[in-house]
Amino acid sequence: MRKGSIIQLTALSLVAAAICTTVALAIPWLPVSAGREADRIHFVYWFTTIICISVFSVVAAVLVFSVWKFRAGPDDDSDGPPTHGHTQLEIVWTAIPAVLVTAISIVSAVVLAQNGHAGSNPLLVKVKAQQFAWSFTYPNGKTYGYLTLPKDRHVKLDITSNDVIHSFWVPQLSQKQDAVPGQHNMLVVTPTKPGTYPVICTELCGLGHALMRSHVDVVEPAAYQAWLAKGSQAPGSPGLAVFQENGCGGCHTFKPAAATGTVGPDLDNLREEAQKANRGTEAAFVKESIVKPEAYLQPGYPDAMPHTFASQIPPDKLAQLVQYLVKGS
Amino acid sequence: MTDVVHTHADHAAPVAPTGWHRLTYPGWLRVLWVTPIFFGIGLGLPLLIRHLAHWDPVWKGSVLVTIELVTTPLGFLAGIGGFDYWAYYASGRPTRPEDHSGHGARSWRDYFRVNTDHKVIGVQYVVTTIIFFCVGGLFAMLFRAELAQPGDQFFNPQTFNVLVSDHAALMIFLFVIPAFAGLGNYVIPLMLGAADMAFPRLNALSFWLLPIAGVIMVAGMAAPGGGPSAGWTCYAPLCSHQPLGQVFFNMGVQWAGASSIMTALNFLVTIITMRAPGMTFWRMPLLVWANFTTSLLVVIATPFIAGSQFFVMFDRVLHTNFFEQGGGGYVLGYQHIFWFYSHPAVYIMMLPGFGIISEVIAVMSRKPVFGYRLMALSLMAILVLGFSVWAHHMFVAGMAGWLRVPMMVTSMVIAVPTGIKIFSWLATMWEGRIRFTTPMLFALGFLSMFVIGGLSGIYLASVPIDIHASDTYFIVAHIHYVLFGGSVFTIFAGIYYWFPKMTGRMYSERLGKLHFWLTFTGFNLTFFPMHYIGLQGMPRRVADYADRFADINLFISIASFGLGASTLVFLYNMVNSWAHGPAAGGNPWRALTLEWQVSSPPPIFNFDEIPQVVGHPYEYGVPGARHAIFGVPHPEPVGTD
Repeated sequence: MRKGSIIQLTALSLVAAAICTTVALAIPWLPVSAGREADRIHFVYWFTTIICISVFSVVAAVLVFSVWKFRAGPDDDSDGPPTHGHTQLEIVWTAIPAVLVTAISIVSAVVLAQNGHAGSNPLLVKVKAQQFAWSFTYPNGKTYGYLTLPKDRHVKLDITSNDVIHSFWVPQLSQKQDAVPGQHNMLVVTPTKPGTYPVICTELCGLGHALMRSHVDVVEPAAYQAWLAKGSQAPGSPGLAVFQENGCGGCHTFKPAAATGTVGPDLDNLREEAQKANRGTEAAFVKESIVKPEAYLQPGYPDAMPHTFASQIPPDKLAQLVQYLVKGS
Repeated sequence: MTDVVHTHADHAAPVAPTGWHRLTYPGWLRVLWVTPIFFGIGLGLPLLIRHLAHWDPVWKGSVLVTIELVTTPLGFLAGIGGFDYWAYYASGRPTRPEDHSGHGARSWRDYFRVNTDHKVIGVQYVVTTIIFFCVGGLFAMLFRAELAQPGDQFFNPQTFNVLVSDHAALMIFLFVIPAFAGLGNYVIPLMLGAADMAFPRLNALSFWLLPIAGVIMVAGMAAPGGGPSAGWTCYAPLCSHQPLGQVFFNMGVQWAGASSIMTALNFLVTIITMRAPGMTFWRMPLLVWANFTTSLLVVIATPFIAGSQFFVMFDRVLHTNFFEQGGGGYVLGYQHIFWFYSHPAVYIMMLPGFGIISEVIAVMSRKPVFGYRLMALSLMAILVLGFSVWAHHMFVAGMAGWLRVPMMVTSMVIAVPTGIKIFSWLATMWEGRIRFTTPMLFALGFLSMFVIGGLSGIYLASVPIDIHASDTYFIVAHIHYVLFGGSVFTIFAGIYYWFPKMTGRMYSERLGKLHFWLTFTGFNLTFFPMHYIGLQGMPRRVADYADRFADINLFISIASFGLGASTLVFLYNMVNSWAHGPAAGGNPWRALTLEWQVSSPPPIFNFDEIPQVVGHPYEYGVPGARHAIFGVPHPEPVGTD
């Protein structure tokens, strides 16, 4: 290989690396980190990115150089030099990638171990997923449809599912864990930046998957204590609390609860639908539709509502929910 | 092998039946009456048994559909003649061991019946898979239309999920895997210097299972209650509780999988036993090596996906409890079994492409493949390592925690043999005399795009990054860089490269290049932005998404329509060139491998004389080098080097 080719190749590699670096830095690829684990994951991401840009630049340079220099003319029927291989070169390009991926593996393994470490006194929150809602139970026994976390404290999430597999993800915290029925999976997050971030289900779980969202409020420790001390579980009527705990808004539109789901029937039209269905009083119809949703399907909607609410909602809460829905429609 | 005296009658075209015989002669007329009989049996028998046993309800959709999806296809296969020879043999009627009446194509009609010629079967495969490629692409454009804006526009979530699931299922099971089987079918016997595959009748049968699988997949969309909507991964327990269409998915995978296994067995036996004299393993073209390793992957791994789909179907239909947590099943067991196939399946969808690229780059650069033996050995390394990485799909699934780091390391290590291949292709081009024909453009497009897909794979192999990126659009971007920028580009390279051999005509280079540039541009505009929205927080498989992703999704949707439209150029070029293209000649690329040493298209039995292989297949630039010579009176046996 001539000296000129080496200089040209090096120049091409540097140009490719400069372009890639610009793309990597100019676009905010990752969400703003709001947690200690996310900081570490971002570190692995940048570590890997530097290695990948180096490799890609060399490959791109050789490719562009070959296309540019070794193009055969239209009437050129000649063959290239019969090079069959080069043992040293082959050893080099086996060894270098092996070293690089080993480095990434070591960094990744260390970060993984650190990100699973919850410290001596974590806040334990039970996370329950179901089609198509999240509920979060705190050590004091209270359950919410959203998550409130104190800043700078290890939080251990005990994640499970009521029906199918879901997955808990907060992009700004970077941590993700599937919710599997019958299994308790642990996930550690340590929020560092106050704010409100989305909780997203990332495992296809049925018709309402896209709408299976909640949010996490990261607040100062004092604000967290104040929130925890508040008496009522959720603002508004007890029926609204039941509505939110069970994630009804994931599938149904209901103006009094500011719910906008479109998988199931619009509950604002409950009265008319009850008349059309003609299955007893409105309250009886609403109750039956919750505990035995397959008994009557509103035309145009599939049998998609979970059949688990009969055992999931205690009778007193069911009564509150029915009353709330009848009153609001 | 014993010598068989061929008579003229053996090789003659089949005698067309007349009168009533047309109804009993294998073909479409027989399909028309045999299939309904099998359909009736599949319907009547379970209804009768349920009625007699007083099972309630007598009419149970999931049971009837499961049985029908076995009996009706069997009826179709019996009608078209897939079992005729074996049925004759089993019933003790006389068979002709050298009956070639169903062999070769003399008119276009011969492509629409059971044909034992590997070249006909190869074309049948490629054309059928392109049809499903178009259908699957159409589904993608439909759901991209829905995704152009947040909120529900055209489809409800059920239809959206069905489109997403069937898009992936068709592209994987009905396009990429069988398209490679088709190209391999056409080329492998020719490259080996063999007259056909080892088991021609099995070969014919394995093709006819394919349209069955495709029709089942598509028909499932119209099933009462809704089509298969649990994604192509079909995770339990969600898929056990989906509408009836899910059973179509479970069974469609079985037919496609059976086809795949039968072809792989055929490839293995053909490659091991039917090489021409002098064709040692170290003289085989890398395409043959690639299909050899792929076939090993298929026969070892495919039974696992068959198992996973049977088990979920049993959970639904037979009330077993493989994956039902309530009944003591192991929910994550599904994913372990599924990915034990579906990760090797990634290599099933990639290694034959590696083979195609090795052929194209060597021929178009006029140089020997750099590091031929290491290229073959790295295929074997990928084969072995491929079975030790499946759980990297499950880093967030909640499996045994200790498995994550070992699976990360093995996944990372796969980058080493893959890197060897990339670097060796680059070294093959180095100082070559490169001709930028359409196959070469697709090979270069593959090289650059597959490097990006491979590097995003490094991110995903790292457990912490995967925890962030898993199940987001980053994954969607990654798999399309690997399977579209990777596999699909190699399939296009292969189709253009062997088009002159298959049809005897040359395609239009101008349209081929236009197709490449439109596809290459449309592909990058569609899939590159997905990396960004995924990392930023958009999960995959959602019909609705946060408003802040609206603009970029609109951009992606418009680009995807452009990408879809680029296929029209390809289809026009193929159809028009097949009908009107200029004659290609036997060896338009001046290649050394054996398939180019015969006429285009090749004679019905490939070689008039058995070739004697005397050297390596890629000796470009070596003065006087030959891969094979013809006309040797007593060819030396296989195995002498």
